[in-house]
Amino acid sequence: MLGKLIYDYLQKYSFPYPIDKKICSGWAKDLPSKGETILYTSCMYQTASLSEVYSKFIPYAEKLSPLSFLGRFIKPSKDEIERAYRILNKIAQLLKRNGINFAYLYEEEPYSGAILLELGYLDEFGQYAKSVYNFFKNKGIKRIITVDPHTHNALSRYNEFVEHFDLEIVSYLELVKDVKGVNREETFVIHDSCLYSRFLNLRDVYRDLINKSGIKIVEDELITGVDTSFCCGSPIKPINPDLSDKIAKARVEQLSKLSKNIIVVCPMCYANLSKYGNVKDWIEVVE
Amino acid sequence: MSQDWEIAIQRTINNNVPRVHKILENHKYILDLAKKLREAKMRVLSDLETYVEQTLEAVKRTGGNAYFVNNAEEAKEIVGKIVGKGKIVVFGKSMVAYELGIRKYLQQLGNEVWETDLGEFLIQLADEPPSHIIAPAVHMTKERVAKLLKEKLGFDVSESSSHEELVQKVREFLRNKFLSANVGITGANAVAADVGSIVLVENEGNIRMSTVVPPVHIAIVGVEKIVPTLEDALIEALVQAAYAGLYPPTYINVTSGPSSTGDIEMKRVSPAHGPKEFHLILVDNGRLKASKDPILREALLCIRCGRCHLHCPIYRVLDGSWGDAPYSGPMGAMWSYIIYNDYKPALYCTHSGNCKEVCPMKINIPRVLEYIKYMGNKQRSDK
Repeated sequence: MLGKLIYDYLQKYSFPYPIDKKICSGWAKDLPSKGETILYTSCMYQTASLSEVYSKFIPYAEKLSPLSFLGRFIKPSKDEIERAYRILNKIAQLLKRNGINFAYLYEEEPYSGAILLELGYLDEFGQYAKSVYNFFKNKGIKRIITVDPHTHNALSRYNEFVEHFDLEIVSYLELVKDVKGVNREETFVIHDSCLYSRFLNLRDVYRDLINKSGIKIVEDELITGVDTSFCCGSPIKPINPDLSDKIAKARVEQLSKLSKNIIVVCPMCYANLSKYGNVKDWIEVVE
Repeated sequence: MSQDWEIAIQRTINNNVPRVHKILENHKYILDLAKKLREAKMRVLSDLETYVEQTLEAVKRTGGNAYFVNNAEEAKEIVGKIVGKGKIVVFGKSMVAYELGIRKYLQQLGNEVWETDLGEFLIQLADEPPSHIIAPAVHMTKERVAKLLKEKLGFDVSESSSHEELVQKVREFLRNKFLSANVGITGANAVAADVGSIVLVENEGNIRMSTVVPPVHIAIVGVEKIVPTLEDALIEALVQAAYAGLYPPTYINVTSGPSSTGDIEMKRVSPAHGPKEFHLILVDNGRLKASKDPILREALLCIRCGRCHLHCPIYRVLDGSWGDAPYSGPMGAMWSYIIYNDYKPALYCTHSGNCKEVCPMKINIPRVLEYIKYMGNKQRSDK
């Protein structure tokens, strides 16, 4: 069963599939590894581009196990990894600039379990959530700063599965103030994260930040409205990669009617949409 | 995504979505009514068997016949006995009748059967499954509709015919069927447990005619449509119409037993000009079991406004075939599991959350689908 396989990989590699954890931690060098507050990447920015590769393996997942060593050789491209590192460093700098001190767990950082939740493996997710929670508690962690919506959503659901869950989960978006747009001449369109926008109540948080940054945003009731804006197609990729691509293509076509410059707030949205248009993470267009 | 579907769905969204936004903005009381309706429906779903009994008794009090059926076979047996053979039957659109296969069953028995809801009529002609819960032929462009009417019924129409011309031709054809029909079959938007009335909301006038012109009216309704009172049932009609973008609705029909009059010494006598027989068939087919599950119960709150469809990326990108007919779209992914024990449509949910955002009953559809994914995963691992 796929859920069991992912769960086993999580036990073995602290990640849903075999990976060299140095890919995850390579962006950070000068951050403390211990502290009550941590910046938590769940290796999402670093590996988002690999979702394409691994979704193709899903139909053969049960047979994958003996070949798992191959996973250690599958890496994001140099450009992709450098981009992810730049984004994470910029997030860290912005937090510091706003007076937020935090540690980072480097290669010890566990994965959130988001994929188990999103594929409906709730028993496995619950079991995994307990182990991650205990890990955080043993490290003396009290506050977790997330950087992407899938991780934030997964951690926000831990309290359904972990008794007396008492960790504070906060998005870096809620901690960052006053950013300045690097391009104030052209117009941009926001592709909202479904999770931030309709599940985690953070839509206005990043919209306010972007609007105040001086970047010109174009809106349309049928394309960027809270109840009309499309998904990027990423969550369906493990089930149906073709459908995922169709959604991404359709979404970029819609957005491009408003602006050729598309801003996203999620690494998975970037991975899925950037094949079809000029897409940037919002952090790449502010300073 | 076929080109036809892409054109048809985009036209539909452009016509419908801004209109619903405007309706809800201009008539804010609908938001309060929707909240009240959710509470009323939840009361019923928490004790469904009791409300089924209450409804059956109430229908009998008004001179109607009422039945409870567990599944399609039991429903077909009852409908077959009432209708018989060699009759003309007009359908006023019932998704539950579609679910149970009633139309095709009656045809097999040797009856002439016509869907009279325009969308469902087109579906019947094309022999295709419906692609939307309230606009079954939403996948057809105007041009394809013209082609279909010309090919199947020889209507004098072309691809350049207007929407109005197409509607006019169907109207002429169906009017004769209404006038010669022996039996009218409908669903119901709501059933009032306290008085046994059914409430139907519509715009075409076909339901009104199907319920009044033929001498026999059969309503086939899922048990989840039961609400505590007639007031709740009327509220359901208003809320459904508003969220479907068709507000005010052209007609709201209340049927309480067979036709009657009180005009001679105010003694109530039945029948009068309308049907002499009224039959209500309350259908389980998986609903009672779902009502016992606190998460699946939420799905039974659905009032079939079809709004979630037009906001869902999967529904929009697929060609209307997502889910098991007649249940398509996000609500259909829930209902495919409840009725047909099919968890696969739920696997396609990308948790975009638009559906929960627009649902008048505040059903957290992605959360229900997450649960169905979970149940499906368990089913697969048990094999």
